[in-house]
Amino acid sequence: MNAKRADDLEKVPGYRWHANGQSAFSGELLGLYQRLDRLFFGWAREYDAAEYAFPTFIPARELDKVDYFRSFPHLATFPVALDGSEENLRAFAGRGPLSAEGNVRLTAPAPIRDVITPAACYHFYVQFQGETLTAPRVVTTRATCCRRESHYLPLQRQWIFSMREIVCLGTADEVKEFLTACQERVDRFFKRVHLPVQWNAATDPFFNPSRNPKYLLQQLDPVKTEMVFQDLAIGSVNFHRNYFGEAFDIQRAGKEAFSGCVAFGIERWIFALLTHFGPDRADWPDLN
Amino acid sequence: MKTGTEIRRALRDWVIRTNGKIEPEELDDETPIIEQRIVSSLQIMDLILFLEKLSGKPIEVEKLKPGVFRNIGVIHRNFFEEPSHER
Repeated sequence: MNAKRADDLEKVPGYRWHANGQSAFSGELLGLYQRLDRLFFGWAREYDAAEYAFPTFIPARELDKVDYFRSFPHLATFPVALDGSEENLRAFAGRGPLSAEGNVRLTAPAPIRDVITPAACYHFYVQFQGETLTAPRVVTTRATCCRRESHYLPLQRQWIFSMREIVCLGTADEVKEFLTACQERVDRFFKRVHLPVQWNAATDPFFNPSRNPKYLLQQLDPVKTEMVFQDLAIGSVNFHRNYFGEAFDIQRAGKEAFSGCVAFGIERWIFALLTHFGPDRADWPDLN
Repeated sequence: MKTGTEIRRALRDWVIRTNGKIEPEELDDETPIIEQRIVSSLQIMDLILFLEKLSGKPIEVEKLKPGVFRNIGVIHRNFFEEPSHER
């Protein structure tokens, strides 16, 4: 089965694509979504990872500490609300809220101070800000993430998608050891179920990369390894060095903490499984 | 013409001066200066300019290979020993 096109996927029971870059699941496919997340969570629990549930928004002030808006302005999505003055609200309601194309005809917006979560792990650095860790810390969360793109493809490139992450904070050696072991763990899974996935060095999708020294540095010292099915990255292993430890003043062993994460894009994993094994549950691999 | 020892000392001095916080005894030829962010992304272009000045040879950024700035020993091997960094 080739599930690349929306009309192919529309034939898969329990799937509904929304052209604004979002997916809806029910039935067997929702079950697959849940089993995949449980699979990733099970790997996190092998490290005794504590699970967290975070809010949808991150304060822009926090993301600015890691230069997010200069590095990824094209991905950022902001929650917008109307300025609450009676006059403004009356003007909005009174002038016909939508254009003929369905565009919301905003009047004055309220100040925007938040960003919709672009990646699950940012929340942890905000949460642990100012802490001194007495041991390496492994944690996990699943977040609904939001990244604006120029175009969308069902399950492969979405505005809103689900990301499970396992994050380790510690010394450089503690984090590297965790990432290596985690990559081996995931690779064993790929081999067991015979899912053809390659591990490729990659860089983050920086805005205007040729003018960004962070992009140059990632090329010279790769810190991101992607799990690539066909030409689609369904997950990644990332070593952040002590970038977040420094930005959020998290200490470990007398120095700024190092960190790393393993991230799984749940919709993209579903795409890989449907494409490789087909739409029938009977043909899907055992995810337990 | 500088000797290898002089070049490595010049590199060490530049890293210590640029970082501003690291103590000389914390930095040797094997210290991973990129991984430990002793040299940050914002300083990488300055490092390239410094290497060009020290070696007297231009560096083509597009041709740089991963790992060429890993530590002072590796930088010395890549940019100051023949053949050039493009190997």
